[in-house]
Amino acid sequence: MLSKSKGWFGPVKPKSVHSLENLRLLHGVLMRNATVTEQNRSLLVETLRSMSEILIWGDQNDSSVFDFFLEKNMLLFFLKILRQKTGSYICVQLLQTLNILFENIRNETSLYYLLSNNHVNCIIVHKFDFSDEEVLAYYISFLKTLSFKLNKHTIHFFYNEHTNDFALYTEAIKFFNNPESMVRIAVRTLTLNVYKVNDKAMQMYIRNKTAVPYFSNLVWFIGNHVLELESCVRNDIDHQSKSRLSTLVAEHLDHLHYLNDILNIGIDGLNVVLTNHLLNRLLVPLYVSSMTKTRSHGKASNPPAISSVVALFLLSQVFLIMKQQPLVCQLVDIIFNGTYKTIADQPTDISGIGTFCAFVEPSESLEISLDSNRERTGREMKERRRRPNYRDVDSPTEDIDGDGGGKEVDQGRTDGPVVAIAAAEDEDDGDDEGDGEGVLRGAVGGVGGRTRRREEEEEGDEEEEDMPEAERGGRASPTPDNSSSGVTSESDSTSNTSSAISTSATSPLVDSNSTDEEKRIAATLQRAELNLSTRPYFSCVLNSLDCNHGDYRALFALCLLYAIGSNEGIKEKLLDGVLLTNRVENKAFYNSVLVERLIALMNQSCQLNSCIRPVTLEMGCLLLKQLVFSNIQAKCFLEDRHLACVEGAKEESVLLLRTFYKGDELFLDMFDDEYQSMKKRPLNVEYLMMDESILLPPTGTPLTGIDFTKRLPSGELERTRRAIRAFFLLRDLSLTLRNLVETKLPLIKPDLLVKTSDKLDLNNSDLIACSVITKDKSPQRVRRFLVIAIHQLILVEPDSKKLGWGVAKFVGPLQDLEVTGDKDDSRSLHVTVHQRSTASPHARPVPLLAARFQFDDHIRCMAAKQRLTKGRQKARQAQMACLAELLEIPISHHSGLYGSSSAISHHPGMAIAVSSSKGGASSPSTARHTFLGQVYETYRQLGKK
Amino acid sequence: MSYAYLFKYIIIGDTGVGKSCLLLQFTDKRFQPVHDLTIGVEFGARMINIDGKQIKLQIWDTAGQESFRSITRSYYRGAAGALLVYDITRRDTFNHLTTWLEDARQHSSSNMVIMLIGNKSDLEARRDVKKEEGEAFAREHGLIFMETSAKTAANVEEAFINTAKEIYQKIQEGVFDINNEANGIKLGPQHNTVNPAQPSGDRGQQGGQGCC
Repeated sequence: MLSKSKGWFGPVKPKSVHSLENLRLLHGVLMRNATVTEQNRSLLVETLRSMSEILIWGDQNDSSVFDFFLEKNMLLFFLKILRQKTGSYICVQLLQTLNILFENIRNETSLYYLLSNNHVNCIIVHKFDFSDEEVLAYYISFLKTLSFKLNKHTIHFFYNEHTNDFALYTEAIKFFNNPESMVRIAVRTLTLNVYKVNDKAMQMYIRNKTAVPYFSNLVWFIGNHVLELESCVRNDIDHQSKSRLSTLVAEHLDHLHYLNDILNIGIDGLNVVLTNHLLNRLLVPLYVSSMTKTRSHGKASNPPAISSVVALFLLSQVFLIMKQQPLVCQLVDIIFNGTYKTIADQPTDISGIGTFCAFVEPSESLEISLDSNRERTGREMKERRRRPNYRDVDSPTEDIDGDGGGKEVDQGRTDGPVVAIAAAEDEDDGDDEGDGEGVLRGAVGGVGGRTRRREEEEEGDEEEEDMPEAERGGRASPTPDNSSSGVTSESDSTSNTSSAISTSATSPLVDSNSTDEEKRIAATLQRAELNLSTRPYFSCVLNSLDCNHGDYRALFALCLLYAIGSNEGIKEKLLDGVLLTNRVENKAFYNSVLVERLIALMNQSCQLNSCIRPVTLEMGCLLLKQLVFSNIQAKCFLEDRHLACVEGAKEESVLLLRTFYKGDELFLDMFDDEYQSMKKRPLNVEYLMMDESILLPPTGTPLTGIDFTKRLPSGELERTRRAIRAFFLLRDLSLTLRNLVETKLPLIKPDLLVKTSDKLDLNNSDLIACSVITKDKSPQRVRRFLVIAIHQLILVEPDSKKLGWGVAKFVGPLQDLEVTGDKDDSRSLHVTVHQRSTASPHARPVPLLAARFQFDDHIRCMAAKQRLTKGRQKARQAQMACLAELLEIPISHHSGLYGSSSAISHHPGMAIAVSSSKGGASSPSTARHTFLGQVYETYRQLGKK
Repeated sequence: MSYAYLFKYIIIGDTGVGKSCLLLQFTDKRFQPVHDLTIGVEFGARMINIDGKQIKLQIWDTAGQESFRSITRSYYRGAAGALLVYDITRRDTFNHLTTWLEDARQHSSSNMVIMLIGNKSDLEARRDVKKEEGEAFAREHGLIFMETSAKTAANVEEAFINTAKEIYQKIQEGVFDINNEANGIKLGPQHNTVNPAQPSGDRGQQGGQGCC
């Protein structure tokens, strides 16, 4: 369609293109073609395009243009064309014209004029043919453009307080679950733009009339994504559909970020509804209650559930992203203090929406809810002629039950006491199941008559489970002082929210002297240890740390605890309740159950055939530091017995590494590489929780493309690397906890090294003059002096100002040097200095230096070669010695393996340095590794013999 | 109109570098050189032809949406191609490329094709960023590079079409999982019924024969 546009301007002189005259002309054209036909379609489209252009020009240059447009009521004319149902061709053009018009208008008055009659709203509610994806795309872009124009003043053109109409918003959110991702994003942008506008009446409308249907449907939509993710994890044992899984994980993150963006805008009333829905329709019934579920194979569970692994993973994401106090506090309270019964009984009648906690489908689709809502509002207006005021938020269902038992909306059910339906959360999925199902169906049906039945059942349940209820009751009854200092006291309209946040086992924190404090904590300590049995979810998290059958779940449990521990929205009181000391400065009374599990995990990771992945160990160390080490005070609160265990684990890691230790080059290289890559890429928990690959059961094969740290080692080499990692991690942990500074790593002290452009005193050094010819695209030839320092090869340019001094132009580690002679030129050497692990894992390793050194004669060349080779040897020997010392390997043993030079000459690894063949491998670094790999294998076989 | 594939693009870069103009020039082939009139648009679509296949390009402008993290995230992920635009007469817009690129790389799928565009090449007299610098930046970061002028339409077609070719190439190589719409690629109506279950490797050969 757009290809026809070329040249249509032909006959018109460009000067008159942007003018009132031309607009008049175009208006005439439109008038003559008021009825759209096959013949005039193209003409109409072109006319509309140029009109929008003139209008924008007029907006910036000539106000009479706009007056004309308004005077002729052109928007109405547009609407008339739309109503002729002329197919997408004209629709699309009109939408684009409108889009351009509204996007580009700078002049506020022009904008107001355009909006002042209700035509724009009529266009918004026009029934376009949305099955045409192009129409939908232009339509939603138009709506989005309008939403960017919203502010305190313009909002009144779209939101009609008297009729409770807000077409821009309600029409847009109907597309919230459109299969087209760009459409969904546009809808989300629009909603956020709407919420941002600070207009109380509008916000109240959003909250009272649309929040329940929108959020309940949104949450259901998210939940279904989660179920899809679950089935993807469940059916993908062989890591085949990673891209699908990756999309679903990213999608979940998108959802969380979106919800987070809404909550961050901070409309209290809206946040209450959203938080409530999130908790009661998704996070608690689907995520939290699935935590205790063991994976049931192939069995479609009812109520829907996800596996414990996925639940822990998703909850970690939630706590890494969402920081809003009411939400995270309530959620964490349920995880820490909740029982199965708590979830069932969750008192949630705080905003007039669902009075139960379950992951169930909203009884109506969003579109139906919104439409019936509008009808109802209309009726209500006639009958009562009263406008709700903001205070109504506290009795928010007033507007819904106003129509006297008309349509019973599931979320709108208000009568009756708190009804619990998600009762059957028992771990064994046993007897209660049937019972729970029946109840669930009742809830989905949302029929009023069933409520009574459920009430009766509820009573029966309560009698049965008398004991736990009593216990819970004792804890949950909020004492006056902490309900008033309740978590949500900021939001005036939600004062009773805090009742949902049952206070934790600890009595409220009162300012008291230290002895009282200690007593209190000691008491809680006892209680917490006793109470684990009554905290099924929290103890599930702790039990997940058990790695006897692999660390699949443990990794997520660690992440969850870490995320909870570092989430600023969570009150310290809640963490205190289960003795999580992540955030407090005084960590004297930490959760020893947890700490002991972490220590057990560390010990296990030091076993020969351990199933702990490096990333899990790193997470464990991170969490332990968070729990017992205060950065500010630089103080460790770990009890001696526990500290001894950590030290023990560290010693174990040394022993383990010693079993892998070979006094060879490969070992040294690996040791060095692991150190570098750990320093360069420390663990980022947020990034870790974006990685879908950890959702699949841990695998050993590198073919999956999963990062080494996130899988099990494959083969002897990787087992060695794993042992090296464990050594570094536990060594670092031990040093941190003991408040010591690392003095032995890296093996070469950085301050001993020469850096580029350092000035060096060369008076007592051996220098060999040479020409350095680089081997890149544009070879350069420079004159340099070659200096061989302890660890480095240095190329020096004499200092022009100071005799006997030079400036380092290049420095490279001797240990990564490769030097070969040149067949054709006896005065030349080929020198390559390899690059260690690069910053990005995707970057191709480029050598630090690849050059030909040309000397004055053959003798000097040979001397240089010898020195380089020797220098490399010595540098490596020095490092081996440091390494042996680090691992406390007896020197005699060590020197027997490596010390003498005769041993080295037998060592095939050194052949690289002395061979005279031209090293022609295309990728020197990999060549080095494979070659050394062979060497390593030979070594092992020798060792076995 | 039916198409074999639909590719979704986003346009990113500092404000005022001419993102909308590029879009408008490409989708509507119009840009009025007479008056200094900048027209913003948020969305555009156009059909192009590669290897005898009809390919629809949908371009979504992301202007003004930076304030919400959830939105930028999703936009990047939903696109198969991105035009990263700077203004050759404004050095600062060039200096900000790294930030834009980091954002794009962090949020997008690793397969997203990114084209670097130095816009306003018609303003040679006011040039502030050398063409070589743009080339070097592109080489360093593995991007395709082109200088365009939305005003004279120079290279605008090429910029969009070459990006599409690159995406198409990747589809042929089986790099893109075209059954996963989240990648910003959608199969046309006729494709959906024919071979959604086939492994992508096979499709490469089919494409070469131009069966559709």
